[in-house]
Amino acid sequence: MAALQRFSLFSRGQLVVLGLLAMVPLVDLFVPGVQLAAPMRNVIVFAILALGLNIVVGWTGLLHLGIAAFMAIGAYAFGILTCEIYPFQVGFWWGVILAGAIGAFAGWLLGAPTLRLRGDYLAIVTLGFGEIVQDALKNLEVITKGTQGINPLPAPTFPGFVMSAEHPFPWFYLYLGILAVIVFLCRNLEFSRLGRQLFAVREDELAARCMAISPDKAKLKAFAFGAALAAVAGALSASLLSSTGEPSNYDFQISILALCIVIVGGIGSITGVLVGAIVMVGLNNVVLPQATQALQRHGIDSTANVLSSPDNYKYMLFGLALVLMMRYRPDGIVFSRKAARK
Amino acid sequence: MTTDVKSLISVEKVTMRFGGLTAVKDVSVNVAQGSITAVIGPNGAGKTTLFNAITGVYEPTEGTVLVSGRDPSRQLTHAVIAGAAATGVATAVFLAILVRVEALWKASVIDLYVYQQAFPWGKAIAAFFATLFGGGFVGTWLPMLLGLVLGASGRMVIWSRTRRTPDVVASAGVARTFQNIRLFPDLSLVENVTVGMDRRLSSGMVAAVFALPSALRERMTARTEAMKLLEFVGLADKAEEAAGNLPYGHQRRLEIARALASRPDVILLDEPAAGMNPTEAVDLMRLIKAIRDAGTTVVLIEHHMRVVMGISDRINVLQYGEKIAEGTPIEIKNDPRCIEAYLGKEELG
Repeated sequence: MAALQRFSLFSRGQLVVLGLLAMVPLVDLFVPGVQLAAPMRNVIVFAILALGLNIVVGWTGLLHLGIAAFMAIGAYAFGILTCEIYPFQVGFWWGVILAGAIGAFAGWLLGAPTLRLRGDYLAIVTLGFGEIVQDALKNLEVITKGTQGINPLPAPTFPGFVMSAEHPFPWFYLYLGILAVIVFLCRNLEFSRLGRQLFAVREDELAARCMAISPDKAKLKAFAFGAALAAVAGALSASLLSSTGEPSNYDFQISILALCIVIVGGIGSITGVLVGAIVMVGLNNVVLPQATQALQRHGIDSTANVLSSPDNYKYMLFGLALVLMMRYRPDGIVFSRKAARK
Repeated sequence: MTTDVKSLISVEKVTMRFGGLTAVKDVSVNVAQGSITAVIGPNGAGKTTLFNAITGVYEPTEGTVLVSGRDPSRQLTHAVIAGAAATGVATAVFLAILVRVEALWKASVIDLYVYQQAFPWGKAIAAFFATLFGGGFVGTWLPMLLGLVLGASGRMVIWSRTRRTPDVVASAGVARTFQNIRLFPDLSLVENVTVGMDRRLSSGMVAAVFALPSALRERMTARTEAMKLLEFVGLADKAEEAAGNLPYGHQRRLEIARALASRPDVILLDEPAAGMNPTEAVDLMRLIKAIRDAGTTVVLIEHHMRVVMGISDRINVLQYGEKIAEGTPIEIKNDPRCIEAYLGKEELG
């Protein structure tokens, strides 16, 4: 496998997906009435979230049902560190980096005492953690402003250049750049010593132990790294909304959406996760709203009939997608390197 | 006896009990450095249990296992105690902050920050610590005490439970294979072997994630070395195939290569010839001899008598969990107890 022998930034599949994403603004330019770049930023945010989850679920084989909690921690860390109503005001870049670091620390803190639990028990702990974080953020009103959320939050800045909501293209490309960097980091991890340790732990924990690998340490690192990526996704999403939103925005639904992205896209495959994010979140945030708008423009939809608005189809389509995937392609749209060999 | 040669593994009076069942009883085995030592016995004699006790899969109920004359388990060093103390203090502070996080925030941030004016950092830090330690017994010292006890004892419990896990024993230079092959089926052959090499690799998470030159160099050398090992066991042409797709005999060889990758002092082979045809078994004998000649001590469990008698320097015989004989192949062949217990006349025929 050339990928192992020679060092390359991205695999071919990753390049194709990132390249296609880079061409999205062209659609906006040439097709009148369509605006994809702005909602596609959400796709990128969820791709980052799902890449973080993929490290834990896809590579280490731990069922993690509370990834949204780390997204919330990232968003609130970013909010507290950057919003003008707090004294820190570190700015967008430090906000994102520190949010990632705080997310990693939170992941480490949750993982250290619980990662020795097996299978279902760990899933229950992560599920519970997701609920606890929401409730804590809601009730610590003095710090988090409770259900109001923290706002306004800064848009990304460069020296002499501030992103604005009116011009989504630079913003889109910035997020795409961050996604590319994160894909690069994940890919390095995949082929590294730690990556191999994670795979070994997933495949056979006892055998891994007998190879002098400590599964506890490997899992903890995976957990912290996944949490860091989820927190970065949270920070980017908060910057996008200019608000952390209320704590219940980061509920179980988000964790499940991230899990669906990983499973539909191709568990364990970075390219697969990117495709999964485009399919699942693209459907939710881009295709269905655009379709609804188009129908409204032509006056076809009616408020009296719920079914006439494609926006309302999303859960049905999610469910359908999952059922069809499990029936016809249980390894996901893009097979991971491992699954492809079977 | 082999008193003049250094003994690499000494099993001293090991007993393994599972509830009321005594699987291994008072067994002592010495493995001389550079030898091929066999453990034989009828099914259920406790051979694999003995291996599991040596490699840390089980904790011996009684007795000790020394590797190179030392107990491989994690000792109670100053570092362990310091680690527990540090964890205790960190948990104490964390818990004290946690129980009064709102009051702390109010005192050090809300009361001091006036919108769009410079924030008095010095005052804020002072207020933070004043509040943190000013909570009285219930607000400060009780949570701190609880945190200290919880953190330190938690760390000690983890230490005591992981003192002699297989990874600790493996780090001391003991590698093994399994009776029911345990490869990483979805990983390629070369990846399987590289996982075995883990003990000797040093690149950390940060170096790996940012693709620092040191990590990349290690990645390359590890791969080259893994390919060499695959050549040694004759599987180099299948390096990129998934391990799970290999035929049975090849899987056994791959498992040996994976175990060798850690450059162990001693390798424990659990029925390496199981399911092999006579030709494959002869190849395996050659391979095991080559491993020994390369300087790795070999311990093996085997039922295949031609293999055992052909290559072993010493043989230990177990029956019903007890050791009934030890000696060279010729001595064992002629030992009436062994003939009665295990070998049978046709086998010797």
